[in-house]
Amino acid sequence: MKFLHTADWQIGMKAAHVGGAGERVREERLNTVLRLVDVAAEYNVDFMLVAGDVFEDNGVARVLVQRVADAMARSQVSVFVIPGNHDPLIPGSVWEHPAWRSAVNVKVLKLEEPIEVPGGVLYPCPVREKRCDRDPTAWINTSEQEGIRIGLAHGTVEGIHVEEPDYPIPRDAAARRSLDYLALGHWHSVTTYEVSDGSVRMAYSGTPEPTKFGERDSGKVLIVDIRRKGEVPVITPVQVGDLEWLVIERDLRGLGDLVCLREELESIDRPDSTLLELKITGLLAAEDTDELARIREIVDARFAFARIDSSKVKPLPEDENWVANLPAGILREAAARLRALADTSFAEERPEGASPEVAARALVELHAMTVEAQP
Amino acid sequence: MILRSITVRNWRCLVEPVKVGPFSERVNVLHAPNSTGKSTLFEALHRGLLDGHRVSGREVEAIRPWGRSLSPKVMIEFASEGTEYRVTKGFLEAAEAVLERKENGRFRRVAEGDAADGQIRAILGSSPPGRGLARPENWGLAQVLWAGQGNLAITSLSGDLLTDIHASLGAQVSGPRAAPIEERIEAAYLQFFTPGGKLKTGKDAPELVRLRKRLDAAHQKHAAALEQQRGFEEAARRVEDLEARRRQTTRDAEEISKTFKAAQAEVERYRTLSSEKKERSEQLKAAEAQYNGLSERIETIKIARKELAGAQEDVRRLERDLPPRTREIENRDKEAAEAKAALENVRKGRLGVDRAEGLAEDARSFLEGRKRLSDIDDRLKRIAAAQRELTLNKKKRAELLAPDSKALKAIRKALKERDEAQIRIDAALITLEIVPEKRGALMIISGEKTGEVALRAGKSAQVKGAPEVVIDWLGAGRLRASGPTGEIDQLRQVHHKANRRLKQLLEPLSTTELEELEALSERAKELERKAAEMETQVNTLLSGLSVEEIQQERALIGGTLEKILEQRPDWEESPPDGEVLRRQGAETKRSFISAVEAAEARRDKAQEGLTVTVKQRTELETQLKDAKKQVKRLEPRLADLTQDGKADEQRQKELKKLSLAWNAARASVEEIEDKLSVFTEDPVGIASKLEMQLQAIEKRATELLKEEERERGRVDELSAQGPYSSLANVEEEMAELQRQIDDQELRIEAIRLVHDVAKQSRSEVLASVAGPVEASSTRMLQRIAGGRLGRLQLGESFEPLRVLPEISDSSVPLEYVSGGEHEQIHLATRLALADVLSKDERQLVVLDDVLPYTDTGRFARVIRILEEAAQRLQLLILTCHPERYRGMEQAHFLDLEAILRASSE
Repeated sequence: MKFLHTADWQIGMKAAHVGGAGERVREERLNTVLRLVDVAAEYNVDFMLVAGDVFEDNGVARVLVQRVADAMARSQVSVFVIPGNHDPLIPGSVWEHPAWRSAVNVKVLKLEEPIEVPGGVLYPCPVREKRCDRDPTAWINTSEQEGIRIGLAHGTVEGIHVEEPDYPIPRDAAARRSLDYLALGHWHSVTTYEVSDGSVRMAYSGTPEPTKFGERDSGKVLIVDIRRKGEVPVITPVQVGDLEWLVIERDLRGLGDLVCLREELESIDRPDSTLLELKITGLLAAEDTDELARIREIVDARFAFARIDSSKVKPLPEDENWVANLPAGILREAAARLRALADTSFAEERPEGASPEVAARALVELHAMTVEAQP
Repeated sequence: MILRSITVRNWRCLVEPVKVGPFSERVNVLHAPNSTGKSTLFEALHRGLLDGHRVSGREVEAIRPWGRSLSPKVMIEFASEGTEYRVTKGFLEAAEAVLERKENGRFRRVAEGDAADGQIRAILGSSPPGRGLARPENWGLAQVLWAGQGNLAITSLSGDLLTDIHASLGAQVSGPRAAPIEERIEAAYLQFFTPGGKLKTGKDAPELVRLRKRLDAAHQKHAAALEQQRGFEEAARRVEDLEARRRQTTRDAEEISKTFKAAQAEVERYRTLSSEKKERSEQLKAAEAQYNGLSERIETIKIARKELAGAQEDVRRLERDLPPRTREIENRDKEAAEAKAALENVRKGRLGVDRAEGLAEDARSFLEGRKRLSDIDDRLKRIAAAQRELTLNKKKRAELLAPDSKALKAIRKALKERDEAQIRIDAALITLEIVPEKRGALMIISGEKTGEVALRAGKSAQVKGAPEVVIDWLGAGRLRASGPTGEIDQLRQVHHKANRRLKQLLEPLSTTELEELEALSERAKELERKAAEMETQVNTLLSGLSVEEIQQERALIGGTLEKILEQRPDWEESPPDGEVLRRQGAETKRSFISAVEAAEARRDKAQEGLTVTVKQRTELETQLKDAKKQVKRLEPRLADLTQDGKADEQRQKELKKLSLAWNAARASVEEIEDKLSVFTEDPVGIASKLEMQLQAIEKRATELLKEEERERGRVDELSAQGPYSSLANVEEEMAELQRQIDDQELRIEAIRLVHDVAKQSRSEVLASVAGPVEASSTRMLQRIAGGRLGRLQLGESFEPLRVLPEISDSSVPLEYVSGGEHEQIHLATRLALADVLSKDERQLVVLDDVLPYTDTGRFARVIRILEEAAQRLQLLILTCHPERYRGMEQAHFLDLEAILRASSE
C-alpha cells in the first residue's frame, strides 16, 4: 500500500501579515494542490489522505471550494478527506457544497466508521467542532480487521506545547489503536513519532505550502509505503511548496555592510516566488542611506513581498563627517540634536513624537536634503 | 565708512552745484530751515552710493529739478577700511558711475559704469537691487545706520545685513550654504504641513491623509465583513442547535409513542375486566337478594309468633287488673267530697277577719285625721303672722326716700366730675396774694369775685381770676396780673355740666349730703332684704298651695273624722289605741288564713288521689283495647307467612344453600377486583394524555424541522457569500494600508522633527545673538526714559517688538507706548546695532530730523548718548533746530543756508 499523506492546505487563508501579497499567497496554495496531485501520480500512490483543514474557514468563497474540488478531481486515485478544526463538519460547512458530489474520486469522510481502501482499512476521525478536548482516535477499534490499518485524524499530539490542546492525541495512539500508520493533520511542520522499536507509525505531513515567516519544515507532503500489515512504513517527504518565506536579519556594523546585503538579496533565486522579511539593526552611516534606499527599491521591484524593518537602525556615532560638513550654526546644531534624540539612552525630555526611530529617520532625511542642496 | 563730503547739482531744489563738507569724523549737525535741501542731500547720499546709475522711472524722474531737463549728479567722498574713495554718479540722460580711490594723494579711477555700482555696494555691504531704485532692504548696513526723515523705526533687516550683524556678534546663524538646506527643510515641511503646523487637508493633503481615509473606509468594510462572518457562524450554530433539538424531539416523540401504545393495550384489558366485574357483581347481588329474602322471612315468622303470644298475654293480664281499679276510684271520690265540705266550712270565718281589720283601719284614720287637723291649724297661724310682717316691711320701705345703687353711683360720678373741674379751675386761676403791712382796701375790678375787699395788716388776702386779675389797691395803686387764656372756659363748662347733672339726681331726695344719702341707701337695702326674707317664709309655709287650698284640705279631714265618730261615738271622749287594734286585726287574719290553707291542702290531696286512680283505670282500658287489636292483626299475618306450608327446619336448609351460593359469587367478584386493583390510575385518562402529548411533540418536531430548514437556507445564503474570504481580503487591505501609513507617518514625523529642531536651534541662536543688542538698547532706553519701560525685546530681525515693564508680568507691544518713547526705542536700537556694526570700523550714522516728539529733558539725555556714540561713530544729524544740539561737545555745525549762499555767489 502506498499513499500520499497531506493536510492543512488552509485554502483561502488570510495573509494580512504580507499585505498586498495576500492574493498571491492564496493563489499559490491552490496551485500547490495541483502540484501534489501530480506528485501522487508521479509516485504512483494507491490513494491520497488529507488529514483536515483543507480550507482555512467554512466561510471561504464558494468558488474556492469548487476550484479545490476540481483540482482534487484531477487525481487518478481516490482522495480521502476529513474535515479539520478550521473547516469542521457543521451546518453550512464547505463539505455541504455540491462540488463534492461531482468529484466522484473525492471521499469526504463524515462518519467515524472504518472504510475499505486499496490494501486495507481506513479509520477516519472527522472533526465536528472547532475546539474539543476529546481524543478523536478514541473510537478506533481495529480488532477482527484484516489488512493494513490506517488512521486519519486531526489534532494535537500530546507533548506539543500549547496552552489548550485541541483534539488531544496520545503519543502512542498508533500503537494503542493497533494502526499500521496514523496520518495526522493540524500542525504545519513535518513531524514524525517513533515508537519504542524506533519505527515511525504516526506523523504530521505539515502544510504543503508554508503559511508564515519562520515556519519550520513545511511545504511538503509525505509518501507512505507499507508493504504488508505490521511492517514498518517507509515515509518519504516530498517538497511541493513553491513560495519561499525568507527571513533575513542583519546587524550593521560598518560601512559596506549594506552593500553586502544588497548583493546577497540580488543573488536570491526566484525572488518573484519569495516573500522576504528583512530585519536590519545596528548602525547606519549617513553615506549608506542611499544604499538602504536602493535595497528598498530592489526588493519592492523583484520580490513577491518584502517587509523591511529598519526601525532599530541607529546613526553611526563615529559618523561625524557629514554633520561636520554642515554649515555651522543652526543646521549643525539641529543635526547634533537629532543625533542625540536618535540615541535610545537620551535621558532628557523628548519633544512630542520624537522617538529614537523618528529621530534616526529625521537624520536620514536631513542628510538627504543636505546632499540634494549641494551644487 | 566715513563720509568726507558730498557735492550735488541738478537735484530737486539744489540746482546749482553745492558741496557740503568736509565732515567731522564725530558729530556733524547740518542745519537749515525746512525745505532748504537737508533731506535732498540725504537722498543724494544714499542714491549716489546705493542705486545703479542706469535706473529709470518715475521715482528717479522726480529727483530732476522741477521744470528743468537737467540730469541729477552727485559726488561723494568717503573712507572705508582706511581707503579714501570718491564716487561720481549721474542719472537719467547723463547716466554715469565712476569709482575713484585715493592713491598717493590723488583720486584714481577704479571702476566705471555697472562695475562701479557693484564695487561700491561691495564696499558698503549692500545687496544689488532687482530693478529700479534701491529699496531700504538693499541698503546693507545703511538700513540700520541711516534713518531718513520720519523713518527712524526699524521694521525688518535684510538677510545680508542680518548675516553681518550675526557675524559681528560672533554667531553663525545661517550662511549661504545653509540657506538652500533650510529652504529644502521648509519646503519639505510645507509639503505636509501648513505654516501653522497642522497636517494639510484638501487637495494639497499629503498621501497620508488619503491613506488614512482609505483605512477608515477599510475599517468600516472590515466591521461589515466581520459581522457577516459572525452571522454565518451564528447561523451555523443555530442550525446545529435546531438539528439537535429536532432530533431530541423526534426521540421524545418515539418514546411517547411507545408508551402510548402500551397504554392503549392496558386500556383494552381494563375495559374487559371492568365488564366482567359488572356481570359478576350482578350475580352477587342476585344471590345476596335470595339469601336475604329467605332469611328475612324466617325472622319475620319468628317475630310474628312472638308478638302474637305477647299480645294474647297482655289481654289476659289487663282483664284481671281492671275491677280493683274501679273500686279504688269510688273510695277516693268519697274522700274528695269530704275534704271539699271541710274547706267551705273554714272559709266562713272570713267576716270576723274583715271586721277586726275595719276597726283597726278606722282607728288609724281617726287618729291620723286628728293629728293632721292640728298641724294644718298651726301652719295657717304661722302663714298669717309672716304675711303681716311682710306687709309692714314693704310699707316702711315705700315710705323711705333713699337713692338706689344706680342713682348713688351716678351721684358719686357727678360729684367727682364737678370736684375735679373745680380743682382744675382753681389751678388755672391767677392767684394774687397780698399781705398788707397796714389796713386798707382792695377794689377787685376783674377776678372770680369783684368788688371791694378789706385788707388787714399782716394778714394775707388772695384774689383769683382768669384770664386776668385787676385790682385797685386803694391808696396804693392798681394791680394787674394776667396769664394764659382759653382753658378756664372749658373747665367752667365741665363744672357747670357736672353741677346740673348733680342737681337732677338730688332733686327727689331728702338730702344732698353724700354720707346721708349713702346711709339712707343702706337702710333701704336692709328693709328690702327683710321683706324678701318674709316673703320666702310665707312661700315656704304655703309649699305651693294657697291659703284657701289648705283650708279646703282641713275641711275634708274634718268631714272624715265626723263620719268615724258617727260610727264610734265613744272615741269622742275616749280615743282608741290604734296599735292594739291593728295587732288584733292582723292576728285574726293570720289564724283564718292558716285554717283555709290546711283545708285546701286536704281537699287537693283527696282530689289528686281520685284523679290518678281514674287515669290508671283509663290507661288499663286503652291497653286492653290495643292488645286485642294486636292479636287480631297478627293472627292473619302469621297465617300469610306460613302459607308455603314448609316447616321451619326445611326453611333453614334452604337458607344454608343460598348462603353458599352468595359466598361463591362474592369470591368471583373479589377475584376481578384484584385484577383491576393494579390500575392505580385511570388507564383511559393516561392514554388520552399520552395521545395529546404525542400530538404536541409531533407538532413541535414538525415546527423545528421547518425552522431548521429556514435557518439552513440562511446558512447556505451566507456561506455562498464567502464571508471569511471577504474578511481576509479586507484585513489584508488594512494591513497594507497600515504599512503604507506607518511608512508615511515615519517620514512625515521625521521631516517635522527636522523642521522643529532646526526652528528651535534658530530661535536659540537668534536669542543668543539678539541678547547683547537687546541689553545694549535696553540700557540706552533706560538712560533716556528711566526704568519704567523695563526691558526691550527684539525680534529675529532685530526689530523692536515689545517692552517688558518692571511692574508688569506681561509684555507691552510698542503700539501702546507714547510717540516720544516709540522714537526713543528705535533710536536706542539703531545705536545699539550701529555699535555692533562699527566694531571693526567707524561707521556713518545719519539721523534726518529724528526725535521730533522727544521732550527737552529726555532730549538732553539723548545728546549725552549721542556724544558717547560719536566716540565710535560718525554722526550726521540733519535738523531745522540746531539750537537743540548746541550743547553737544565737539559738534561740527554746518549751516546749509550759508553753504548754499556761498555756492551761489
